[in-house]
Amino acid sequence: MAAAVSAASVWRQSLAQAALLLLRRPGVRGLARSGRISFYMTNYGEEGTHVGSAAALDSTDLVFGQYREAGVLMYRDYPLELFMAQCYGNMSDPGKGRQMPVHYGCKERHFVTISSPLATQIPQAVGAAYAAKRANANRIVICYFGEGAASEGDAHAGFNFAATLECPIIFFCRNNGYAISTPTYEQYRGDGIAARGPGYGIMSIRVDGNDVFAVYNATKEARRRAVAENQPFLIEAMTYRIGHHSTSDDSSAYRSVDEVNYWDKQDHPISRLRHYLVSHGWWDEDQEKTWRKQSRKMVMEAFAQAERKLKPNPNLLFSDVYQEMPAQLRKQQESLAQHLQTYGEHYPLDHFDK
Amino acid sequence: MELSSLLTRRRVGMAAAASTAGRLLRLGAVRAEGHCRRLRRAGLERGFLQPTSAGKDAAQKRHVAHFTFQPDRESQEHGQTQKMNLFQAVTSALDNSLAKDPTAVIFGEDVAFGGVFRCTVGLRDKYGKDRVFNTPLCEQGIVGFGIGIAVTGATAIAEIQFADYIFPAFDQIVNEAAKYRYRSGDLFNCGSLTIRSPWGCVGHGGLYHSQCPEAFFAHCPGIKVVIPRSPFQAKGLLLSCIEDKNPCIFFEPKILYRAAVEQVPVEPYTIPLSQAEVIQEGSDITLVAWGTQVHVIREVALMAREKLGVSCEIIDLRTIIPWDVDTVCKSVIKTGRLLISHEAPLTGGFASEISSTVQLHDELPSFFLETF
Repeated sequence: MAAAVSAASVWRQSLAQAALLLLRRPGVRGLARSGRISFYMTNYGEEGTHVGSAAALDSTDLVFGQYREAGVLMYRDYPLELFMAQCYGNMSDPGKGRQMPVHYGCKERHFVTISSPLATQIPQAVGAAYAAKRANANRIVICYFGEGAASEGDAHAGFNFAATLECPIIFFCRNNGYAISTPTYEQYRGDGIAARGPGYGIMSIRVDGNDVFAVYNATKEARRRAVAENQPFLIEAMTYRIGHHSTSDDSSAYRSVDEVNYWDKQDHPISRLRHYLVSHGWWDEDQEKTWRKQSRKMVMEAFAQAERKLKPNPNLLFSDVYQEMPAQLRKQQESLAQHLQTYGEHYPLDHFDK
Repeated sequence: MELSSLLTRRRVGMAAAASTAGRLLRLGAVRAEGHCRRLRRAGLERGFLQPTSAGKDAAQKRHVAHFTFQPDRESQEHGQTQKMNLFQAVTSALDNSLAKDPTAVIFGEDVAFGGVFRCTVGLRDKYGKDRVFNTPLCEQGIVGFGIGIAVTGATAIAEIQFADYIFPAFDQIVNEAAKYRYRSGDLFNCGSLTIRSPWGCVGHGGLYHSQCPEAFFAHCPGIKVVIPRSPFQAKGLLLSCIEDKNPCIFFEPKILYRAAVEQVPVEPYTIPLSQAEVIQEGSDITLVAWGTQVHVIREVALMAREKLGVSCEIIDLRTIIPWDVDTVCKSVIKTGRLLISHEAPLTGGFASEISSTVQLHDELPSFFLETF
């Protein structure tokens, strides 16, 4: 029964995610398409990799992601309000409105802020794991990346350092079939990412990324051994990117609708989990309807709230570049203030926090 | 030897594109005229310095690059001192850091046995192999790894074996380290990262063991770039970099590793960052340099006084970014002239930033610029 309860909670998480991430119209993606936020990246089809792995970690394990791991943050109960705040870049955004949408970060939930350059997080995650080992904290680091990012030099650097310096880290590769328009056949010619691990001396496994329990089991075991043995593990989760790369992409330009439909209808991580729960009598159609309705409502309310809020104060353009503000930046800040005094009418200052 | 040949001579072994750069700014017509007359009296036309006449200085002809390291007067304020060269001063700083801060680690290529310039000799034995260790040969990995350590709050001291090899790490430095705090809204930072790297010409280094890449990093807000002129300066500035809450790059003039010897305090001490130092006061012209070139400039100042009757004020910039605009401008307001000299290539070199900022300064009168 305990398994059923935890499975149900895993399921609820998945559906909550699905509500946020799967809703097509209106959805956050819809917001971007309608110009209300500038940009968005969906996670459709990869929810199993997020929830399965996140559920297997300790809440204090440090997460380094790429940009398509919102479900990990959601599993750690990051509030909808803050997801929205970051996408809208409003004054409630803990990131102070400085980055493009989906570049989330949360210190309390040990989720390092996302950056756009690919694979840069990989050697960083290794360094963090080394520090965790030295601190005897019984913590590991998990580092997510796609099969495309795995081609970057930083990935090679990270794998090699993790092995030679004996770091307690899980490398989690979401092999979702595409890097924007580039299919895996053009990304690598070897046997995917898992096959590279042994070349570095890293124990590696390939899992069905759309089987949330397989992902959970692999991550759980990798975590246990990483802590016990201070060595890295590589998990390659095979999945599929059902959505476009981002709102700037139209994937019909490079793949068929049939291909996408197959994954959406026949091998979707959320559907597979739902069937499993239903077959055990732990979920049913009514609960499904209710929860979907409830999630949709939560999401729409969060949108509305986020949209009403002001953008951050323009002074925040200049702070945090260094811990202290150097004289040159203070001069630039004053120069902007003066400029706005004279020409403020040409700027939408009403939308910004004073 | 004439001032002109000093300013234009090339060092043996330096990269082809590099040369000592001189920019002469003349400010204020009235002040200039007085000096003009003096220069003309010395047999030199306005803005143009004549070479030595042939045959006169056979004994003075030089065949190799030359500078003389000039130690500063011994500091009394930091307790007992010991004779140290520059690499020993670096070792001392690292020793102090690892003793004080249990999270501090040192890593890079070949640091375990003591380093190719002996900067980490003895540290692995003293502090353990988990704190002083070799990494694989991969600069992007070294810096990325260092960032990750720093993100957890531990102190990371990374070595890049030669500044010429820092470029694979450029993405990690510029796109990641420099922007970590800003982009996360100060939720995360890698302020406890310091990158150390041997820098500058050494005589035989060629293109790839001689570079001075500070100008590439000067264009990057979020990091600090620091260059010492001496062992005493090196230890204090390095300790400041390690303690500073921003990622720092510390370039160590490799030609000074052995050649520069001074009395250096044994205990830790810091020298403030972003503070230039006026190491010699003068009234006719401000000379700005950093690293090894400070010693060349000191010699230039001596010769200018002896041969031209010119009184030079010398400034060691020390921190390249964020740099001490006020000290340089204050000096130029006083002297009316500015000459900046660096080893790095002229075009886009850091002298351009200094000269344009000084010229824009509110308190300086209109001017005209001569470059040579």
